[in-house]
Amino acid sequence: MTDTRFILVAEDDPVLKNLLGHTFAGKYQTLYASNGQEALDLFEANKPAAVLLDLMMPGVDGFAVIEGIRKRTDEYKGVPIIVVSNLGQQKDIDRAKTLGANEYLVKAEVSVEEIVAKIESVLQGTTPAV
Amino acid sequence: MSVRSILMLLFGGVVAAALVVIIGSLAFVKQQITVLFPASVALASDDALRMLLIEQAVGLVIASVVLLGAMFYVLGKTVLTPLKKLTTALEQYETTGERIPPEEFEESPKEFQDLIASFDEFTERIEAAHRNDLETSRIKSDFISTAAHQLRTPLTGIRWALEALQKGTMNDDQRVLVNSAVDKSRDLVAIVGTLLDISAIESGKYKYNFQATDMHALLVEVANDFSYLASNSKVSLFYAQEEAPLPRARVDRDRIKWVLNNLVENAIRYTPPDGTVRLSAEAGRERVTIRVRDTGIGIPDKDRANIFERFYRAENATAMQNAGNGLGLYIARTIAKDHGGDLNFAPNEGGRGTTFILSVPVAR
Repeated sequence: MTDTRFILVAEDDPVLKNLLGHTFAGKYQTLYASNGQEALDLFEANKPAAVLLDLMMPGVDGFAVIEGIRKRTDEYKGVPIIVVSNLGQQKDIDRAKTLGANEYLVKAEVSVEEIVAKIESVLQGTTPAV
Repeated sequence: MSVRSILMLLFGGVVAAALVVIIGSLAFVKQQITVLFPASVALASDDALRMLLIEQAVGLVIASVVLLGAMFYVLGKTVLTPLKKLTTALEQYETTGERIPPEEFEESPKEFQDLIASFDEFTERIEAAHRNDLETSRIKSDFISTAAHQLRTPLTGIRWALEALQKGTMNDDQRVLVNSAVDKSRDLVAIVGTLLDISAIESGKYKYNFQATDMHALLVEVANDFSYLASNSKVSLFYAQEEAPLPRARVDRDRIKWVLNNLVENAIRYTPPDGTVRLSAEAGRERVTIRVRDTGIGIPDKDRANIFERFYRAENATAMQNAGNGLGLYIARTIAKDHGGDLNFAPNEGGRGTTFILSVPVAR
């Protein structure tokens, strides 16, 4: 990796945030948001290379964050968004994808390594952005 | 035959009949007069009489036409107009769901008002039942979503923490313990996942998205996805592709892939090292049939009848430290049947192992 990329992680559970941080350390520069509004603000301020997004967060939820990013009119509207959520019903997946999420992972069903692999694949552009 | 055309025919008929009667009776009267008053009335008053008779005839005809016209007009208005109104209102309800306000029919005859009132009550009851159903469905769906999240969040924490531990240094005893814990936490996650799937299936919320699908490509994908697991288990996994092209099948690609994943994973897990798992597909007129053939430990006779039941695990399954919570085959078969196909299995003749047979309909 030439430069360390910024990853924005929106996750409200502190334990899970910690465990993710454990693995991301040294791989990526990570920004953490605990709710949707913080996520949007951090996105605006830092223009991350990818977003790891939980859906159920207090206040502004993950769906609204996807909407907020995809509604942009600048070059950052297409930043890859990987939804990492424990909601797994088809309707949630459909909704996230329709709003513009690139990938949808069910947290409990993947290991942190698989999440890293997914981040790598979207950063390398092997997964086309919506 | 519409009410209108009947009325028009009737009207025409009555007018014609009236004309015939009037002209007939006038002719008759004229004849009688000629007979009764022959000479005196003959010449001069013959024309006058004729004129008079004609005037009266015309007058009578006009009067009857007007009268009959009025009658039929009133009849039409009383019956035809409200009927038309009713039909329009019903059509409107059908397309937009807007109900007819009973006030609209205040001018109409009582029978129509009664009809409208009954219809109104009827639709009210149906709509209330429908709202009830939707609400129940929404509550169930909310419960499923909440349950999913509540169960999975701590499970994720446990799983990730254990996996992080696994990467650290520890002695052999500790490693065994941590590995067991990781396995069990993954099992739990799988169980929660299938429980939620069952919940969705049974509440009828499992929506299928049937599309004409290239099954050959799907099988290639599945074989690729499991190549890692297969080589790890020292089992030879391959897709024996037929020469003849496969017609597209009408399937929900994600769900059928899930079924195939289940079958292939089971096949690999229950086949000892140096065994094989063979995928193949063939097309019939109505169905595409996919076979997953393993050289595994097989399914004991006494389990055969039950293997598709919920929560059933064959005896030899508990002996193996494998994933499997007894729900996969139940769901897989339900999905196959929902597609209009089926899922079955048969022991391999002359050799070890089992072949699972999945059939799905050909896309029209």
